[in-house]
Amino acid sequence: MSDWQNSPPAEDWTIDELMIARLAACFADGDQACNGMASFVPVSAFWLARLTHAPELVWLAGAVGLEPRPDRVPASTLEAPLWRDSIMYVEQYGDFWTIALNGRWLTKFCVGSAQLDRFGNGNNSIIGADYHAPRVRLPGTAGLGDMGSIGKALYYWNPNHNPRSLVENVDFISCAGYLGGGTERADAGLEGGPELVITNLCVMDFHPETRHMQVASLHPGVTFEQVQEATGFELPTPEGQLSTTAIPTVEQVRLIREVIDPDDMRRREFGG
Amino acid sequence: MSAEKLTTLDDAAALVRDGDTVAIQNMATQAAPMALVRELIRQGRRELGVVCLVGGIPVDWLAAAGAINRLIGAAVSMEQFGLCQRYRKAVEAGVIRVEELSETALNARLGAGARNLPFLPTRGLIGTDLIDVNDNLVMLDDPFGGPSVVACKALVPDVALVHAHKADRFGNIGYEPTALWPDLGIMPKAATTVIVTVEEIVDSEVLRANPDRTVLPGFMVDAVVEAPFGAHPTSFYPCYGYDTAMHLEWIGSARDDEAVAGFLEKYVTGPADHAAYLEAAGGSERLAAVEDWEAS
Repeated sequence: MSDWQNSPPAEDWTIDELMIARLAACFADGDQACNGMASFVPVSAFWLARLTHAPELVWLAGAVGLEPRPDRVPASTLEAPLWRDSIMYVEQYGDFWTIALNGRWLTKFCVGSAQLDRFGNGNNSIIGADYHAPRVRLPGTAGLGDMGSIGKALYYWNPNHNPRSLVENVDFISCAGYLGGGTERADAGLEGGPELVITNLCVMDFHPETRHMQVASLHPGVTFEQVQEATGFELPTPEGQLSTTAIPTVEQVRLIREVIDPDDMRRREFGG
Repeated sequence: MSAEKLTTLDDAAALVRDGDTVAIQNMATQAAPMALVRELIRQGRRELGVVCLVGGIPVDWLAAAGAINRLIGAAVSMEQFGLCQRYRKAVEAGVIRVEELSETALNARLGAGARNLPFLPTRGLIGTDLIDVNDNLVMLDDPFGGPSVVACKALVPDVALVHAHKADRFGNIGYEPTALWPDLGIMPKAATTVIVTVEEIVDSEVLRANPDRTVLPGFMVDAVVEAPFGAHPTSFYPCYGYDTAMHLEWIGSARDDEAVAGFLEKYVTGPADHAAYLEAAGGSERLAAVEDWEAS
């Protein structure tokens, strides 16, 4: 294992590496993690956690391949090169969803969402006012429509923080967050819920009572005003000085660039 | 003595009627019964409904050919190759109606269909708008006093299309070690008619050597067809990976009507049969390249 504990902050870090390191910090030994389609940031984060602070983080690649040994992050996060050398194929209908629904395992889930609103509701279904006559048809909810409602802690990642993706109200809720805020989620009988939103500008969390999204830390060099400008709803004014998101270490950056993702697949998610 | 199920692609596809609801095995760029999908388009099938977990290029080709008017599924995406543009356009134009389900809700609908139940419940989707727009999903009080669940009405597709590694001529279907998606686990068990293409027809003795790899019993299967590379251009592990070049050629064509017509003529309606398709797709040289899936 690498000497990650004594590694100083990197000087030439890039935003993808910072987001990966921040997301990796959310996962610990004893957790299980799974990934879906086009999930280069989560896959790299799980892998980085396993190579550093959480060697016993269990990874279900593509929600089918247990403890895989991929050569590197491949061009797809939902094809066999990712789950090479798995110790078990977890049959998706019977086994994967049993594991996910049981409640004891896979308590954290990473979500990519085309739209995300101030109460952490996600939308991958449609843009427009009418579900049956949408202005834009998005891919569909897939597993998110389940993961939002079954008690998971949700970690949203968004490499392109802009007012079109971070909106006041989603056009359509296809992943349940805190619904209308306050106690609405709990009142609907739902446990868990959105925990963090990690974007290319900042990290956000949710107020414990109002459940409104708020800035938790700014990435180095980013101001609150810039975040507000890029957000489609009014963010609560921070009380006092906001903290700065930790810069990835020299060793974390090396692992991402040389071991995990030497083909830079993670950068495909940025600049969209 | 078991009944003979071995037939031709033409005759197998003819079991699908205009207007049928057709469950198609597919996970984004993986494991779709593409030889059957192409044959349905060649035979000019119309007004089909598609059931899929995560539909990819087969949904887009069927939409491009004007063969479908409804879809029941959890997502439609070609993952790294982006959204399915012809499908998306048809939905936005009101030509294809979508019943979007979460994965557990789709599994519940098919599971209820397979087990002759009126519905199965899920805890997924609660709090989302997907329940409100779907008459097949109803909130239900737990009769034992716990939290409410979502009742998912039974779904019995008319036909399921599956691609597998091997089968004997009696329709017993064998699968090699690979990721197993719910399409295979539940769609053919729920559907009225089951059509399977396989990489290779084998003697029953081959299946008897590894009966734990037999995933569907012959009595459940109505037709079996030998179609090597039958999932191309999607991947079929461990036999071959997805064909990047053909996916790129498709997405390069998909936004332009004339280019789409040319693409379909070149690869789908033009070639007389499956062997001719494989030649059009680049023949043995190209197929050898996708067989090296570890390079993908």
